[in-house]
Order: sequence, then structure tokens, then C-alpha cells
Amino acid sequence: MAANTLVFNSVVFLFCFMPLALGLYYLVPARIKNAVLLAESLIFFCWAGVSWLPLIVILIAAGYLGGLAIERMAKGPGRRAVLAVTVIVCAAALVFCKYTNFLIETINAVASFKLAELSFLDVLPLGISYYTFKLISYLADVYTGKSKAEHSLVDFSAYVLMYPQLIVGPIVKYREISEALHHPESRCTLKRAQDGAEMFVFGLAKKVILADSIAMLWQDIIGTDGIGLAQASLPLAWLGIIAYSFQLYFDFSGYSEMSNGLSLMMGFECPANFNLPYTSSSITEFWRRWHISLSGWFRDYVYIPLGGNRRGAARQILNMLAVWALTGIWHGANWNFICWGLYYFVLLVIEKTFLLKYLKKGRVWPHIYTLFFVVIGWGLFTCNMPGAPLGLLLHQLFIPHGGVSCLYFLRNYAVLLVLCAVCSTPIPGRIWNWCKRHTPARAAVLGASMILCVAYVIAATGSTALYANF
Amino acid sequence: MEKNVYRKRGRTRIPASLTLFAVLLCGFTLLNVFWPKREFSELENRKLAQMPSFSVKAVLNGQWQKNFSTFMQDQVAFRDKWIDLESAVNSLVFGKTEEGGILLGDDGWMFTRLFTGTESENAQLEKNVKAVSSFASRYPGRVTFLLAPSASSIYPEMLPANAPMIDEDAMLDDIFSSIGQSADVIDLRPVYHSSGSSSLYFKTDHHWTPDGAYLAYKQFCELKGLQPFDRNAHTAVSVENFYGTHYSAARRWNAKPDSFVYFDLPNPMTIYRITGEAQYEPDRTEPLINTDKLLTQDKYGAFLDGNNGYSVIEGDGQGSILVVKDSYANSFVPYLTANYAKIGVVDFRSFAYGLDSTIEAEGYDQILILYNFQTFISDTHVIYIDRPTTLK
Repeated sequence: MAANTLVFNSVVFLFCFMPLALGLYYLVPARIKNAVLLAESLIFFCWAGVSWLPLIVILIAAGYLGGLAIERMAKGPGRRAVLAVTVIVCAAALVFCKYTNFLIETINAVASFKLAELSFLDVLPLGISYYTFKLISYLADVYTGKSKAEHSLVDFSAYVLMYPQLIVGPIVKYREISEALHHPESRCTLKRAQDGAEMFVFGLAKKVILADSIAMLWQDIIGTDGIGLAQASLPLAWLGIIAYSFQLYFDFSGYSEMSNGLSLMMGFECPANFNLPYTSSSITEFWRRWHISLSGWFRDYVYIPLGGNRRGAARQILNMLAVWALTGIWHGANWNFICWGLYYFVLLVIEKTFLLKYLKKGRVWPHIYTLFFVVIGWGLFTCNMPGAPLGLLLHQLFIPHGGVSCLYFLRNYAVLLVLCAVCSTPIPGRIWNWCKRHTPARAAVLGASMILCVAYVIAATGSTALYANF
Repeated sequence: MEKNVYRKRGRTRIPASLTLFAVLLCGFTLLNVFWPKREFSELENRKLAQMPSFSVKAVLNGQWQKNFSTFMQDQVAFRDKWIDLESAVNSLVFGKTEEGGILLGDDGWMFTRLFTGTESENAQLEKNVKAVSSFASRYPGRVTFLLAPSASSIYPEMLPANAPMIDEDAMLDDIFSSIGQSADVIDLRPVYHSSGSSSLYFKTDHHWTPDGAYLAYKQFCELKGLQPFDRNAHTAVSVENFYGTHYSAARRWNAKPDSFVYFDLPNPMTIYRITGEAQYEPDRTEPLINTDKLLTQDKYGAFLDGNNGYSVIEGDGQGSILVVKDSYANSFVPYLTANYAKIGVVDFRSFAYGLDSTIEAEGYDQILILYNFQTFISDTHVIYIDRPTTLK
């Protein structure tokens, strides 16, 4: 995430940008709603300055013109060339911004060159991993005829830039919202506004109450004033990595729900990005429930175009390898992310070749098996961060040793850990469905959640300069 | 017909939870606009951001937006109350025993979180011990080293269960045995433990109380063969309702305020501006207690008017002493007026020179190094004590 981003869980977004943006959006006549959404998204995009604005303009222009051209051209090499060029422009922008420094670093390390890294790429353009993927999905869909090209530049730009999806997606396909995009007069309903508002509040609660609070447990261990992973006993190391797994889930799924809630308030129904992934009973199922818009994207625009499972087992495994290497590196320009992707490749191949049929018969152990490998996966995912190198982490997780006991941390985070575990299951959803049938309960739960969220958002900005004068 | 209209109206009624959302969101947004803006937050002990001035350039490079975001969060309505609410939910609902880096102990006690494992502090501690030993060996018989233990090592039974604190006892043993080779050391642990007092430290602040300081002072007098300051011969003024730094950081919902007494002494203190090595210009002369600060959040800051680089106090005794210190000494030094004619006070955090030149120029007989354990293991300024002079 870029510095100085207008994050949803900030005072300025909640009590300045969001009410103004939504208010204006509701007040203006239907025919200019998309233009207003675009203008608001541009302000959101430029919150950190205008330096990356030209890039997004070029990308939108490429996508827009590319879509029109593909639609008009007859089938043939020309049409394919337009698709290739526009997709390459989008992918090149992503690769250049995200991976140039990683490449330079790798080349320097391998060939002991001394190439200078590009410092202007230290802060990435906001959300580039998401809107380049949105553009590619749009161009591919127009090419395959799954969707029509967008003729209005304003509507197209509003789709690419829409501010709810700028920071962390989800990667919503054009065809999923083009219907709503073209019917601004009917898309805003009270029902959607209500559902959207509730989704937003619960997403916010997941992020600021659950994710940010449980995150402190992992920081207590690996943070700069933590006890250090090397000193943690085996149970404490497990407690830490489990807390980190909860943090990742509630952080990301909470943010996705805020995004979808905002979109819904504006009349856009976007598919859910997470579906209780920690209840999965296989890795295969986990990836159908975790970051659904991303795995769906790789399935639709990499795996299937490469032939999917239609060209024999060997080719299928090769296609999976491509998908998972790309999934890994999409998460960040570092070797550990590639390893993390390949780790899932191996697990999925094992499941596909023989394990899946046993997993389907089991009741409890498939869940334990899935969670175990997912949690270890998060260890791989975070091992480029200071404080948790993989070798040390694996040692602390698997080789019995002494160290700081987990008792204090278990006591301090007990309620939060239980709450996180419960919120990873369908139980809160069932309770909420009951509340929905009882207006006072529904309003009370929503109101209390809002008040608590505000308290946590504001308290997170507390910075006491107390020890300057110890 | 009419029935239909009624039903239609019923259907378009705005749902209760949406109304609540809109009212809370818009209401609080509006409240924020009209909420009075503050310059300073006493509880957070810092200046609050103000509305940034607008310029096209600042908007284009994002600086204005950044400042505006900070302004919004600093000036948000009921800011302190929201933070109190979060802290209360953390302790009451989530049952947490820790908040804002402060351990919430039994009986209202709050402690600095000083967990085992911070390697960097150990490296600093070694440097500090070496600097103090090397300094003291140049002044045989004249240096006393007083290191106050942390509240958590005196009242460990009040800590949250199983808190993995650093092994302060072992570290203190090491420090005293190293520095004891070249200086007199005062280890307060035996006398603190045997006193049985529960008011040696503030519950809501990271300092010792004037009572704790007095017990330490009596140890110093015993070591030096001095007649201690008679607390009954002076008028004590009591200060109530003190919510210290631990409270500010943790905002414990059920915190009870501390109180303390100070002695209204006539001795003047001159605070100096430091213009060069061993060069001082008087800045202001005032009493030992700045009573204005007793009206603020930071009441402990009244002692010696906070931390100043170099100040000199006129005492009622004989000879002179130079106190090198952190803020623990601020409530200790007033007692020294009974024993010395001149008391110099140096705080290295605003004093960037070695000490030798000042001892020579100002003619100090005795040197007292007074720190709290937590500062001493981490403060990067202590090593100045051993800096060679740049004069001559």
C-alpha cells in the first residue's frame, strides 16, 4: 500500500471523504452519476499527489481504445495483435512498477553488477496490481465476446478507477458491473444502500477491531520491541503464527467487504472476495474461498487460455505451475512470494493427483490438514519481513526448545483469539441473519459496531510522545 | 386504491438500520466541522495538527492532503473520549492486561512493559556501564552511583500473571558489581523491600514518588555520613488528582489518581543556557517547584521545572555536589538543599559535552549519578559523561 493513501479506516475518509462523496453521488441526477463517481475516484487516486496520474491516463486510454478496436475488427491476426499489444501495455506497466527494483536486485546479486535501483518506484502507484488486472480481464472478455466494448469513456474510466476498488481490489470484472454501470437511474435502491452500509460497517469492524488487535500478538514476538522469535517457546511461536493468520484474513476480507459495501451503496453488486476460507477442508477448496477475485482471474485469464485441463495431465500440471508462480509473484516482488506460490502448486498437484478423494471422505482431519498447511504457508508469506526468517520460524515451530512461555500472551489475547476463531466460521453470519428479521436488534448491532469502530479508528491514531522526557 | 398507496409508502420507508447509519455518519461529520479546535493535547502531551494552509503546489504533491488527514484525526470530536472507550473495551470485553505499552497490574498498578529480549538495549547498557566506570575511576572517592530499580521489580506480585519481564534483578546485580569497582553504589532493593511501603512509586506514572525518592536520599546520607533533610521541619504541600504518563498511555478506565507531597522551599534555582563547553549564561531563576505545572496533566514536571540541561540550586549546607541524572532525580534533588551549599544538575539529554571541564570550572566536590534502571539501559546520552574535553 502506498504511503499517504486515503484508507477507509481513517478519520478523514470516514468523516470527510465518504459522506461528501456519497452525498454528492446520491444528489446528482442519474445521467451524471458515473461522471461524479469518476471525479471522486480521481480525487481519491490523487490523494498522494498527481505524479502517477499520467500512467493511469495512458492505461485507461489503451484499454478504452483497445476494447473499441477489438470489437470493430474482424477475427484474424490483426485483432489478436491489438489484444496482445494492449495486454502487454498493461502488464508491462505492472511489471515495470512492481518488479524493476526486484530484477535489478536479483541481477546485482547473481552477476555482481552494481545497477542503481530506481528510487521513484519505492512508492508504487496506488492499486496498480488491481486495475491492470481489471483492464486485462476487460480486453480479454471483449476479445472472446463475453462482453461488449464500453463506448463511453466516462463510464469506462469510472469502472477502472472506481475508488472503492482502488486500494486492494477486489478485481471486479467489467461484465460483472456493466449492467449497473449503464443503468444509473435504477441501480441506487434503499435495499442496496442498507445492505452496503451494513457490509461496510462489518468490514470496518473486522479490520480495525479484529485484525488490528490480533496483529499485536505477532508484533509482540517479532516487532522491534518484541521479545524476538528466537526467544519464543514452541507453543508461543505457534500462537504467534496463528494470530498472524487471523490478522491476514480479517484485514484483507474486512477491507474487501468495506470495498464491496461502498460499491453496493452506490448500486454496484460485486461478488464476494472471501467466503470463510478457514472452514475449508482442502487446499483446493481454500483457494476457492480465499481472494476469490484473484484466483478467479488467474483461472479465467491464465489457466484456461493455456489449455486448462483439456490437454492432458502433464500439460495441466504445467499450466498450474504457471498460475501459481504468477500468483506468488503477484503478491510481492520477492523470492519468498514465489516460493509461497510454488508451495501451493505442490500442495494442489498432490491433492489433484490422489489426496482429494481421501479428503472428501474425512470429517475432521481434512480441516486440520488444511489449516496446518495454510498457516505454514503464511509463515512463508511473511518471511521477507524482518524478525521472522523462515529457517528460524520453522525451527521454532517444529523443534522442541525452551524460551518465553505462551501463558501471558494466551491470557492477554484469549478473548480475541476465541472471537477471531468464531468469526472465521458461519456463526456470526447466522446470528446476523436472525438480527435481520428483528429491526431493533439489527439497528442495535449496527449502531454498536459503528461506535466501536470509530473508537478503534481514532485510538489507532493516538501517539503519545511520553517518553521523550523520561 | 388507497390501500395500494399505503402499501407503497410502507415499502419505500427508509429502513431503520440505514437511517441509523446515515444519521451517525452525517451527524458526526457535521459535529466535527463545528467542534472547537485544540492547540495541544494534555493527555497525549503533544501539539495537535491545525488546518493546513491551502496551496496548489501542496495539493499536487499530496502534502496538503497528508496534513489535512492528520488535522482531521487530531481534531476529531471527543477524541480523548473515543480513546478512553477503546481502552475500556479492550480491558472489559477483551480482558486485555496490556494497553498502549503499559501493563495493567493489580490494585490499579500500571507498569512499563519491559519484556525480555530487546537486544539493542543490552548493547547500550554495556556502553553506559563502561562510560560511567571510566568516568568514576578518574574521580576516586567522589562519585556515587544511584540506580533506582523499576516499580515492576519492587512490586512483582502486582504484575499481570506470567508477564515475561526482563531479569532486572540479575541485570542490576551486574551493573552494581561493575560500577562498584570505581564508584560508591547505592542499591535500593534491600531497603525498598524491607520498607513494606506501597507508595514508593506512582501507580499511574513512570516515576518514583517523593517518598520513594526520600528513602533513596536517606540511603545516600547514610553512605556519606550526612544529616538527612527533616521532613517534619518543613511545610508539606499536597498535590491531588495526579494522572501520570502511564495513565495517559493506557487510559485505564478504572484508574485512581495518585497524590504526592512536596516541600515549599525558599532555595532559588538558576537554569542556564549552555553556550559552549563549560560556558553558561543564566536564563532564569525560580523556585524548585514550578507550581504552574501542578495545574497541568504533567504534575511531576513541577519538580525542578522539568528536565533542563544545566541548573544550579543554592542550598543550605556546605560544599558542592553535581547531580547527573534523568527525571527521577527531580524529586530527589530538593532534599539535598539540607546538605550542600551548591547543587549543580546536569541532564545529558540537553547537555552535549563531557563532564570534566564543568567539574573543574565550577569546582564540584562530589558527583552523584542518579538514573532509573529503564533509562539507564537504553539512554544513548549517558555516554557523554566520559567524553574528553574539547577545551585547551
